[in-house]
Amino acid sequence: MSSTVRRPASPHPSAATRRPGAPARPRRRLHLRTVPARIRALTAVVLVAVAALFGTASWAIGNARTGLEVIGHDAGPQVMVTGDLFFALSDMDAQVATVLLLGRDHRLGRGRAAALERYEQRRSEANRALLQAAQLAGDDPIERRTVQAVLDGLGRYERLAGQAMQLDQEPQYAHPAGRPSPRVLELYRQAGELMKLELLPQAYNLTLESGSIVRKTYESKHWSVRAGRVGVLAAGLAVVAALLVLQWYLARRFRRLLNPALVLATLGVLAVTLPAAGLLDSLAGRLQSAKRDGFDSVLALSRARAISNSAYADESRYLLDPARADTYEQVYFDKSQAILYLDAERTKSLTDYHAGVGPAVERFVTGGRAQVDFLGFFGDQARRAEPGTSRARALAEVLTGYRAFQEGDRRLRELVAAGRPAEALAQHLQADAFERYDAALVRLAEQHRTAFTGAIADGDRRLRGWHVALPGACAVIAVLVLLGVRPRLAEYR
Amino acid sequence: MRSSRIAGRRAAAAASAVLAAVALAGCDAGGAGSILDKSTLRIGVKADQPGLGLKRPDGTFEGFDVDVARYVAGRLGFAEEDITFVETPSSVREQALQERRVDMIVATYSITAGRKTKVTFAGPYYVAHQDTLVRAGDGAVRNVRDLSGRRLCKVTGSNSWRRVTEERKVPARLVETSSYSDCVNRLLSGELDAVSTDDLILAGFAARYGDRVKIINAPISDEKYGIGLHKSDIDGCEAINTALTQMYQDGTARRLLDKWFGRTSLRTNPYVPQFEGCG
Repeated sequence: MSSTVRRPASPHPSAATRRPGAPARPRRRLHLRTVPARIRALTAVVLVAVAALFGTASWAIGNARTGLEVIGHDAGPQVMVTGDLFFALSDMDAQVATVLLLGRDHRLGRGRAAALERYEQRRSEANRALLQAAQLAGDDPIERRTVQAVLDGLGRYERLAGQAMQLDQEPQYAHPAGRPSPRVLELYRQAGELMKLELLPQAYNLTLESGSIVRKTYESKHWSVRAGRVGVLAAGLAVVAALLVLQWYLARRFRRLLNPALVLATLGVLAVTLPAAGLLDSLAGRLQSAKRDGFDSVLALSRARAISNSAYADESRYLLDPARADTYEQVYFDKSQAILYLDAERTKSLTDYHAGVGPAVERFVTGGRAQVDFLGFFGDQARRAEPGTSRARALAEVLTGYRAFQEGDRRLRELVAAGRPAEALAQHLQADAFERYDAALVRLAEQHRTAFTGAIADGDRRLRGWHVALPGACAVIAVLVLLGVRPRLAEYR
Repeated sequence: MRSSRIAGRRAAAAASAVLAAVALAGCDAGGAGSILDKSTLRIGVKADQPGLGLKRPDGTFEGFDVDVARYVAGRLGFAEEDITFVETPSSVREQALQERRVDMIVATYSITAGRKTKVTFAGPYYVAHQDTLVRAGDGAVRNVRDLSGRRLCKVTGSNSWRRVTEERKVPARLVETSSYSDCVNRLLSGELDAVSTDDLILAGFAARYGDRVKIINAPISDEKYGIGLHKSDIDGCEAINTALTQMYQDGTARRLLDKWFGRTSLRTNPYVPQFEGCG
């Protein structure tokens, strides 16, 4: 009668182990009445558990690797570049508004040449972002159509803006800084509408859509890594338990307390399980840090920068096109609320907003994130800023700069209301407060970008070598188990 | 000696139980309660806004919002018979979503920062502008500032009146009513002088009452019409945004805007609006 065990059978002398007179048993049942059969069974359990440990650890580490790859090297950085598209487009429009405001006075503020140069630079950045967006779109027909639409629209915008700027320089339309002729304004309105109603929404939506790839990857990989860590610990525990049972059985049966190979194998399991679990824990943390601290913040700040820039351009339009001053003021107010949202009950108009920004910023700068009572982009950032870190300091600088910018806006509108548009224009074109605020925003975004690349690099570094070490270690453990068991089994041959 | 075999089996069983528990526990965290997992859909719409959400005598609904909702639900994989429309007045929209009495709301629901803390918004599917409706013969009101001293309609649960009296600081006299159709009736009967709200809503009424009312065509703000979802249904939100992009790309949006507002003097915008983002 042969005993059936779940592994490839080796020739096994069964006859000697059967007790005379005992009934014959059907072939399929598991016979564990004999010592070698039991040893084999226990060894099988140990090896299966080792395989499970290897499987779980590989699966989890594989997921972590994919997560870092996608978020850190593939879609993540690409999406961040498409985020620049919104800013580049909106700044192009802001530069056109500045050029038209300057009219004949080419030297006012930063000068006409500087504005045109920035226009070209942003055009080039927009191209780069569109290339990335096209790559990210891959085969998705909806996204490809959006990218194509932005390309087409950009061409039309450039034609209209170019016409407006050229016309503005012609002798019959020449004007001192401030009021372009109606014909030029009409062209600019068309270009502005194209930008506002077609291009900017599409650019913004592109980043949102491609961002969702990163979100989904993150959520699934992060969960996998955390679950895998628990699984690795459980599997490791199972292997150790099975090994201990095996050693206990051998000790009882053979009265040899220590089996060196098996002891080594047990230690080996611990040497694999604990570091693996630790690795997965730290990788989960790196993924989270890269996504939340890095990726999300960089995108949010890039949007905040674009909207701020657009708000500055709304000031330009307010000065350029007084017939629609009400609308531009309303739009400026809405954008300000999107950047830093003050409670709607107390902030019904731009005047209330100007009055409320100062105290709100002051409360954060002195009291930290416990004192944050505003929402919007900066509200989210402020709530996450740990007090005392360089990030919190950078954010405080940004908010102080924003407060100064709003203060400048209040003075601007007061000057216009008081009938002193030339002074308002000069102040606006000088743009000191806005430039300082923008520079602070860029610095804060850089900090987050550095956190992002740092977390990814750290994750990559920790993963190095595991694709060799893990299978190697598990193979060694399996060999040790077999080596430990073989001499005992040999006694039965 | 069965004890060692049993011990081994128990260990294996314990290990697999732990793994299974881990798998189940982590499993449903992301998709809990997403509309994408449902087999039927209850959509909240308005019942008293012609052109946008109106209940017919036979109990069915019609309007631009209703057609947009149907298109989006279709793209999400719901068949016509799985969709039910439910009347949702302005004042109860957030509650209805929080209590899950409806799965999604397409009812001239403007996206505001305050509402975003309670509800997730997909879209907007259209950006309307606030404008003012007056009696046809009333030539004195040509700009929102002309509403100073005049009687302006205020509907419970809607925030349109704030843009006039609080943001623009125009001292109009507010008259409280329960719905916009009530506003228009009182306008025609002379109890009010003006109704100020989104131009699409006004266009719907203007089409119905023809020459007796007119829109003054002085837009004062952007109103983003979003699709309201239960808070934190990000997967549903992203799927709806994709459907809305398709709606604009394949020409359906242009066709629907034409169908409902083509005969009015309103100039609609057939380009996809800037989405809020699903958070």
